[in-house]
Amino acid sequence: MKLVWKLLRQHISIGQFAGFFVANLLGMLIVLLSVQFYQDVIPVFTAEDGFIKNTYLIVSKRISAVSTFAGETTAFTPSEQDELRQQRFCKAVGAFTASQYKVYASLGMGGANFGTDMFFESVPSSFVDTDQSQWHFDASHTEVPIILPRSYLAIYNFGFAQSQSLPKLSEGVVSMIPMDIILRGNGRQERIKGRVIGFSSRLNTILVPEDFMQWSNQQFAPEANVAPTRLIVEVTNPTDDAIATFIQDKGYELEDDQLDAGRMTYFLKVVAGVVMAVGLLISILSFYILMLSIYLLVQKNTTKLENLLLIGYSPARVSLPYQLLTTGLNVLVLVLAFVLLLWIRHYYLHMLWAMFPQMNEGTLIMALLVGIGLCIVVSLLNMIAIRRKVQSIWKRKD
Amino acid sequence: MNTIIIENTLPNVFRQRTDVVSDVWNQVVRLERGHVYLIEATSGTGKSSLCSYLIGYRHDYQGRFLFDNRDIRTYSTAEWVQLRQHSLSHLFQELRLFPELTAMENVLIKNQLTGFKSRAEIDTWFDMLGIADKKDVRIGRMSFGQQQRVAMMRALVQPFDFILADEPISHLDDENGRIMGQLMMDEARRQGAGVVVTSIGKHMALNYEKTLHL
Repeated sequence: MKLVWKLLRQHISIGQFAGFFVANLLGMLIVLLSVQFYQDVIPVFTAEDGFIKNTYLIVSKRISAVSTFAGETTAFTPSEQDELRQQRFCKAVGAFTASQYKVYASLGMGGANFGTDMFFESVPSSFVDTDQSQWHFDASHTEVPIILPRSYLAIYNFGFAQSQSLPKLSEGVVSMIPMDIILRGNGRQERIKGRVIGFSSRLNTILVPEDFMQWSNQQFAPEANVAPTRLIVEVTNPTDDAIATFIQDKGYELEDDQLDAGRMTYFLKVVAGVVMAVGLLISILSFYILMLSIYLLVQKNTTKLENLLLIGYSPARVSLPYQLLTTGLNVLVLVLAFVLLLWIRHYYLHMLWAMFPQMNEGTLIMALLVGIGLCIVVSLLNMIAIRRKVQSIWKRKD
Repeated sequence: MNTIIIENTLPNVFRQRTDVVSDVWNQVVRLERGHVYLIEATSGTGKSSLCSYLIGYRHDYQGRFLFDNRDIRTYSTAEWVQLRQHSLSHLFQELRLFPELTAMENVLIKNQLTGFKSRAEIDTWFDMLGIADKKDVRIGRMSFGQQQRVAMMRALVQPFDFILADEPISHLDDENGRIMGQLMMDEARRQGAGVVVTSIGKHMALNYEKTLHL
């Protein structure tokens, strides 16, 4: 093998191979970077809401200046709820029940104590997509699970913590801090513990389990009975035109912060796609450089290859040195591109974390798979091309 | 492989010619393992073509070549590789050595493929052929006569049923030609192989059992 290599390495152009190496490295790096960036950033915008499925829509009545002064109610009457229930697109309707008593909650955190008056709301348990054993209130334990809007955390992290030099909090940390809650009403007062079990970007309310709401309303406001101002609707297909038409006709409104995130995601997808296409293009061009270089090399060494074949070397054995050379180069490119990717990612992740502290970093698996896949495809094509070229020498065809 | 049959073959370029008078072309010739043949030719009678056909390098002929009654046109690439490694040795008229390698490396590149001879045996041959001092000299710097001896050694570092020597001693003096012929015959006899030597004038002094005029 050593002697064969000594023969076949004649006429190898270092310049051409270096050119291929740099071009392929650049192409591979751009492809991997676009894949990885996409993996890291997209979850920030598309984080599947763990609690409220995408097929659930939240409907409220539009509040206008006229309705405010005219004292019109924004609550849904039972007949309006039934009408909604009868729509073709509707699978189920649930009402938001609001707390009818006073709620004061405080959060103790390393000496600092934040407290505020607030309210609770609940929806039927079937609309909350979480482990039902966690989403449950037991009057004897007096600890209530809570789902907070994700925007609350953003307000704290970017508005409050920033200006007060307080630490930024991740979702995980908030879930670990116990909340003290005081419930007041009906001449009674009670302290209970609250625990944040998660954040939702689709709900603009502080959600508690329905059984807690029933118990607390009964305890602290037994007389009150208020019609819901918001409804949660499960639909078969959220993109159905009939929904938008119905909502418009009735003068209702959809709470849909998914829309902006959707646009952002689309935009990011397009950008990542374009960048990846550029990377692939560079990869393809570099592949051509390598193929031209190999063809030229085989052409220059035709006599040697032919003589090796005539003294009994098989086409496979004669192809092997060039195949190993190209595959080795491809693997080296992959490894180097990956190292560079990790290095660059290290920098941008720091920037992203500063902007989105709740961000979960994406995995490297996708980029790794794409990189290995690209490497395998390019190497295979190289190997086939080399084999065919040697085969053509065997058959004495140019 | 025990027999080579050349059956009514003719190079395609001779197809228009009506004056082909030959012991080989358009005839049925049977070459047997263990026998020694001389094919005498004059220039332009297709000697190199004949060798190219037999080694599977060219296929531009009509008629058939049969190795053990099998048409060599049906040989696959893998079968040709096996044949060239184990059954049919060829000393090319144009030698086909590698000028970038030394004399020894030119022999070893073949021996590494077959693992047929020990380094000591090859060293002995270099001594016998009088080019022991040229082992580490690049082929490109050696005379054609010296190169012919290296090519002969390369042809012998493999098992074979037939050896096809195309003008093996064209550039050698009588004494060196005799030594080379002896070396080749020793190997051929040891393996019980058939020997086919071609010549366009000066030919190896061997006990040919049959002479064919191309």
